[in-house]
Amino acid sequence: MIKKKITMLGAFAVGKTSLVQRFVNSIFSEKYQTTIGVKIDQKLVKIDDHLVTLMLWDLYGEDDFLKVKSSYLMGSSGYLLVADGTRAKTLEVAISLQKMAREVTQNAPFIFIINKTDLNDLWEIDTEAIDKLRKSGWEVLLTSAKENFRVEEAFDKLTKMMLQQK
Amino acid sequence: METNKNHSEGNLTDQDQLNSLRKLITGLGQKELERLQLLMTDPHEFSEEISELLPHAIRTLLSKGEITTDDLQPIIEETIQSSIQRNPRKLADILYPVMIPAIRKAVSEDIKKMLASVNASLESGFSIKRLKWRLQALFSKNSYAEIVLANSFVYHVSHVFLIHRDTGLLLHEERSAEAETLEANLVSAMLTAIRDFVKDSFKEKGSGTLEEIQVGSLNILIEQGPYAIVASVVEGQPPLDYRETLSETIEAVHYNHLNDLQQFEGETESFIHASRFLQNCLIQERKEKKGSVFPWPLFIIALLLLLSVIWIFYEKYNRQSEFNNFVKQLDETPGYHITQAKMRFNTYTISGLKDPEASPIDAIIDENNLQGKKIIYSLSPYASLDEGLVLNRAMRQLNPPDEVEMTYYQSGLLKLSGKATADWVYATSKQYQYILGVIKLDTSELNVSRENSFSEITTQNLSWIIPIIENYSFVFDVNVVSLDAEQQQQFDSLMSAAIFLADYNQLYNKKMAIFISTYTSRGGNTQANLDVANRRAAEFVNLFEEAGLTNELIDIQIVYAEDNEEQVPLRSVTFKVTEKTGDRI
Repeated sequence: MIKKKITMLGAFAVGKTSLVQRFVNSIFSEKYQTTIGVKIDQKLVKIDDHLVTLMLWDLYGEDDFLKVKSSYLMGSSGYLLVADGTRAKTLEVAISLQKMAREVTQNAPFIFIINKTDLNDLWEIDTEAIDKLRKSGWEVLLTSAKENFRVEEAFDKLTKMMLQQK
Repeated sequence: METNKNHSEGNLTDQDQLNSLRKLITGLGQKELERLQLLMTDPHEFSEEISELLPHAIRTLLSKGEITTDDLQPIIEETIQSSIQRNPRKLADILYPVMIPAIRKAVSEDIKKMLASVNASLESGFSIKRLKWRLQALFSKNSYAEIVLANSFVYHVSHVFLIHRDTGLLLHEERSAEAETLEANLVSAMLTAIRDFVKDSFKEKGSGTLEEIQVGSLNILIEQGPYAIVASVVEGQPPLDYRETLSETIEAVHYNHLNDLQQFEGETESFIHASRFLQNCLIQERKEKKGSVFPWPLFIIALLLLLSVIWIFYEKYNRQSEFNNFVKQLDETPGYHITQAKMRFNTYTISGLKDPEASPIDAIIDENNLQGKKIIYSLSPYASLDEGLVLNRAMRQLNPPDEVEMTYYQSGLLKLSGKATADWVYATSKQYQYILGVIKLDTSELNVSRENSFSEITTQNLSWIIPIIENYSFVFDVNVVSLDAEQQQQFDSLMSAAIFLADYNQLYNKKMAIFISTYTSRGGNTQANLDVANRRAAEFVNLFEEAGLTNELIDIQIVYAEDNEEQVPLRSVTFKVTEKTGDRI
């Protein structure tokens, strides 16, 4: 049995919890996040004949990345960096968080998710910025938790990356 | 000279050649050879040389697997043992800087744990359990504190988690048979998150780590190691040495799985072997055995209390029974009438009536073993009609001669028999009516010195005969004239006084006679009634005469009952002693 810790990182209200909820089918409870700043879920996935238990640490979203408890990131085998496509500012927060996460997790694999593709009309993050990130080596996925668009793919992809790194 | 030089040169050449040859073969110069020779000949130098190589050689051998730490262990142990035997102080000096802080820390930890346990016990406040502990302390050689500590071991370890320290991932879980299934992965992760949260939140207030989380009656004990954490879910207060068990467990896990932990990438399969260490932490059986021990001290105390209560009630019942018997016996004793009897603790109160002639109470008290008891009497005097007591009373008041025998009948009749002087009979005739319970006096069987001569009689007082004679009356049924057996006895008694009437007249120079008065019925034929009355009068005259009375001592008076002014019993015969006028009415 393989177990992996995945951390959800991103600014406030980018859809981290919705993504986890969509992936895990869990009943969302806010009380843990508001109490100690993290909610944890688990999901058993099968990747290339490997059964992997994913422990999903959904951190409370902070626009100020300095307020994010880095200790919750410790031991993460990978992380999902989430931004809101309708708020360009969340991209900046994500970039700052990635710098911190890179240090704490010692270059653990990550996927950058730009969520809320269902709100296309309000989209603020341009393709140029996304391409720039991809060129710098980031794995970027555009998702919609609301429409369950590429959510599972994001988690599966990250899991594969984590297993490959092993 | 030249030859010598050549020879000398030749020799030098040989030496050089030899050296060259030696260096060629061995690769060693003169100096190296000399050093080797020194090493071989000087053990000190040799050991110095070896000492530099030996540690490196051991490390190499270990890394190659040619020797193991197990091979070295006995040698090192024996060496240390030998060293301690030779000079223990030396090793103590070496270890001193390490041991003192370790001992201080261990003692501090133990005191902290003990205080925590005692505090937890004291916080439980007053309860039946604590009372039981106090009784246990009372009936055992242990102090109360020891009993409290011993009983603090109320626990049940339901789950033990082995958690990877950095990732918070569950490495292995053990749970007791009775425990419910938990989402162990989530619990482990949340425990790690809580630990991190606490650590982050209070990092400026100390360097300690989260060791315990209390959730209601559950305690989650956390023991941290460098790479893993053991978390134990305990219901109740764990024993003092349980923390030590957790420490030993985490140490054992690290010792046996160090590589797995250091290189942990999410694979938990290998940690199944840590199961045996975690199972050591599931120790609820010990408590269950302890709990099943029969509480002998409590049982004995309860039994003693029960026996005491029974004894108290038995004693009270006994005392009550004795007292009831005493009261009953007293009430049945002639001359006593008990109206109320109370027993309160050791004081008895008895109320009622007592005849002065009754026997003393002391004898009854002795009989009922009530000596020394505090008995308060409230007895009012009264006259009992008990035969014995009336006779006692009569004996005390009449003081009869020895020859007189007295018999008392419930009808109130005091019968005298035997022999008595006329004086005593006269006095008795006056006094008997003052004896409580005596209504009538019967002297018919009393012999009153009839054989006395007149000279003796004159010295006597005969005035007593008149009231005795006048005291008699006879009542008849309709048309009955003759006396029945009882009336005959009465008449005999009457005669015992009437016989002295002649002596009385002589003594006092009187002409006294007995007037026989007969009363008729009011109803019926008057003449017939008169005839019956006359016949009754004649009957008594005959009886008197037959008994020895002369005619002059008898007179007859017939009273017609039709005369309503006469308050006399109908059909009766009464007697008056008066001066005889000679005329009969």
